[in-house]
Amino acid sequence: MSPRRSFFRWRMTSGPWALLRGVVILIYVFSLGPILITAAVSFNATNRSFFPPRGFSFRWWEKAFAPEWIDPLIFSLKLGSLTAVLGTALALPLAFALYRYRFRGREALVALTLGPLMLPTLVTGVGLLQLFQYLGWREHMGFTALLVGHVVICMPFAVRTVSISLRTLPPNVELAAASLGATRWATLRHVVFPLIKTGLVAGAVFAFIHSFTDINLSIFLARPGETPITVKILGFLEFGFAPTLAAVSVITLLVPLVLVAVVERVSGLGDFIYGERERA
Amino acid sequence: MTHASARSRVPAHWLLVALPATVLLVFFVLPNALLLSASFLKSEAQQLTTQTTLDNYRFLFTRPLYLEVFLRTFVVGISVGVVDIVLGFPLAYFLVRTRSRWKGLLIALSLAPLLASVVVRTYGWYIILNRFGVANDVLLGIGIIENRIAFMPSTGAIIVGLAHALLPYTVLSIMGSLNGINPNLESAAMSLGANRIRTFFHVILPLSLPGIAGGFLLVFSIAISAYATPAILGGPATQVAATAIYSFIIQLLDWSLGAALAVVLIVSSLLLLYAAARLGARRAAL
Amino acid sequence: MPEPALRLVGIEKQYATAVAVAGIDLDVREGEFVTLLGPSGCGKTTTLALIAGFFPPTAGEIYLKGKSVVDLPSFRRDIGVVFQDYALFPHMSVAENVAFGLRMRKVAPSEIAKRVADALDLVQLKGLGERRPLQMSGGQRQRVALARALVVNPAVLLLDEPLSNLDLKLREEMRVEIVAIQRRLGITTVFVTHDQSEALVMSDRIAVMNAGRIEQLGDPADIYERPATRFVAQFIGRMNLFAGVVTPDRRVRTVDGVELAESAPPEIATGAAVHVAVRPERARLVREKPAEGLALAGTVRQVFYLGAVREFHLDLAGGERGQVEMRNDGAAARFEPGDTVWLTASFANCRVLPARS
Repeated sequence: MSPRRSFFRWRMTSGPWALLRGVVILIYVFSLGPILITAAVSFNATNRSFFPPRGFSFRWWEKAFAPEWIDPLIFSLKLGSLTAVLGTALALPLAFALYRYRFRGREALVALTLGPLMLPTLVTGVGLLQLFQYLGWREHMGFTALLVGHVVICMPFAVRTVSISLRTLPPNVELAAASLGATRWATLRHVVFPLIKTGLVAGAVFAFIHSFTDINLSIFLARPGETPITVKILGFLEFGFAPTLAAVSVITLLVPLVLVAVVERVSGLGDFIYGERERA
Repeated sequence: MTHASARSRVPAHWLLVALPATVLLVFFVLPNALLLSASFLKSEAQQLTTQTTLDNYRFLFTRPLYLEVFLRTFVVGISVGVVDIVLGFPLAYFLVRTRSRWKGLLIALSLAPLLASVVVRTYGWYIILNRFGVANDVLLGIGIIENRIAFMPSTGAIIVGLAHALLPYTVLSIMGSLNGINPNLESAAMSLGANRIRTFFHVILPLSLPGIAGGFLLVFSIAISAYATPAILGGPATQVAATAIYSFIIQLLDWSLGAALAVVLIVSSLLLLYAAARLGARRAAL
Repeated sequence: MPEPALRLVGIEKQYATAVAVAGIDLDVREGEFVTLLGPSGCGKTTTLALIAGFFPPTAGEIYLKGKSVVDLPSFRRDIGVVFQDYALFPHMSVAENVAFGLRMRKVAPSEIAKRVADALDLVQLKGLGERRPLQMSGGQRQRVALARALVVNPAVLLLDEPLSNLDLKLREEMRVEIVAIQRRLGITTVFVTHDQSEALVMSDRIAVMNAGRIEQLGDPADIYERPATRFVAQFIGRMNLFAGVVTPDRRVRTVDGVELAESAPPEIATGAAVHVAVRPERARLVREKPAEGLALAGTVRQVFYLGAVREFHLDLAGGERGQVEMRNDGAAARFEPGDTVWLTASFANCRVLPARS
């Protein structure tokens, strides 16, 4: 323990390292500052964005919980949850087929699966808008169109995490199960599924977050009364500053943060952010 | 030998992929194909006709207004990429090499912004940069300026906002590269007589180049198709590709021009991502 | 003759570009321990996987206790497999791992508990049922894998290089233990290894495999003393091979003109090229040309001192090289590099093998 600590001290006090540390602190200020300022401003007593805040009040927070803001928030939560469930449900068989089988057209399927990650989301949004209009599905704009679009753009995340967990399955466990008398279904249920559960959960979480924070697709597919929170905030910004927005922003920022913190505590997500190399 | 029974059924992989592949074909490939075809159709009285034409592209590439949009989009993409590499490299290097017991927390903090919507994060910059915002208050307060400055709407504000929003991507990409570098290489270089600076330029930087280039291209491709940040921090006079597509389609109802612009955006993104993948492939081969 | 417990008839496995198993016939008797021995890529693991039913053969039949199982999937074959990497289920405890096969067979929970405890007892892991596989040493994981395969009383136990991930000392202990358990249970066993000493120590019979075929099937002494082919002779232990030819009077003449007194084996044609095979430890060095037996003139090139024995490397007069291993007594110590000597062996210790085999 002591040699490690002394090395640490040496690094921290040596010139270049101290300089780097200073630079890094500034980068963190740049990275987190705007978010912290938003949070601080939401407690302002006045309707100006004074920073540091003058006075302290919850009046903007009270307004943030009015139906005007809570409804789109709940809409986004519903949309994100359903996207996560459907996206993961579709991703599971797809990832499994890509992992397990080598067949003609597999490469094309891989490209198709990753497509929504490659093309700008905005463009997919325009295309879906056009498709729905072309098919005369105007009454399906809003929730249905958003759900379809979000499932499409979020599915690749779930395919990715499920693929990672499939690739890190210990070799031969499926054969071992079969040799012990487990049918294919029993092998999936008792061996494969429990071992890739973390990947499924991670995929669902990432899909939810991607859906909850999306703007590029949603601006084209929302309609009045069926609007995700991000589109609602963006629409309001055109009218200039309103401290309520600061409070609403903080709320929408906390939702994914809390979700990730909870899931990370329960089953661990880090593996899927840093990739397989860190798994070892 | 009767092993045929196992072969004659419908292959399991087609059963597995049937539904997800159909969803992707109908709701991803088809819309993009429609968009592509719309870009070659003539638009009249806010309706698409069946007449094919290249006029949409000709229009976009000849009007100074849209050339300016292309140029601004490109400048934003390059600038955001450069800023994020300059900020992302020291941060990534620090996070990979630090022995602090807070390492995990520091990494989480540097990536946490990805969990917030770009709208929310850009809103912070709106609070700071608007005419009655924090920056003006502070500068007035310490007496550097006498009158309020309009930091936004401006291309600069868009660059700052996007650089802030996309920084985690370069950090992740560069960390990936740096993690793959054996720390003993640094010691080895120093044992061979290279000082810290030479070690950095001759060993660390070349080896992390794929991560730097990959991060740059990734950020570039996201930045040129970003909508929210330019919409908030820019204005009608500072349009970029994404905001122009939005106004074509939602405000002007001109599908063919919107589609043509979208196709230009797709092609540029794909080229950038292809380049990034090539770099990735080279990294994998090393 | 009773029905063999396991019978392979003309088993083949072809891939698009390669033939992994090129026709194997093998009968394994009830309670017998048969080893598939061969270098990597010889098809031994593929053969085991075909018996286990992990994929179908391209051709051939597999009978387990007299019934064809070739069309049955793995989970209906009544087998037990121990994998090289153990393939324990990491999300289950040791007891749950061992219980898995019984659960799949819908055995009553009370009986499962009893049989799992007995199986863990058998492999000396009593009381460790609640551990996770990842908390255990390599040797312990090996025992769990063995218990898991044995607890279902399979018709045949298949072991795929189960010892190769263990260190030397543990490997030697486990050899003895696996054989002891196998004998006690009388379970029919097919064991795959590339380690010849493992095969010699453990097996009732050994099938030496090469290029997808069985080169020789026999008990360990057969395989070692009477290799049927040059491949077997060289793969098991070390072997001197001296080129020769079958003379018209059915003798064998070596390159430098020595004729062996005994007749060539009848299956080798007159005039055919052959090899005279002699194990280094069955050959001796002498100063004078011996009156009978094989005798080849040469000079000592190098001497290696190995403690119990000395190893002599010779350049022979006919241009070939030879090795002799002699107990380290006074006689062996007299030979030095550069000495002119005779390599000799009794005819009983020489084998005549077809040159192309």
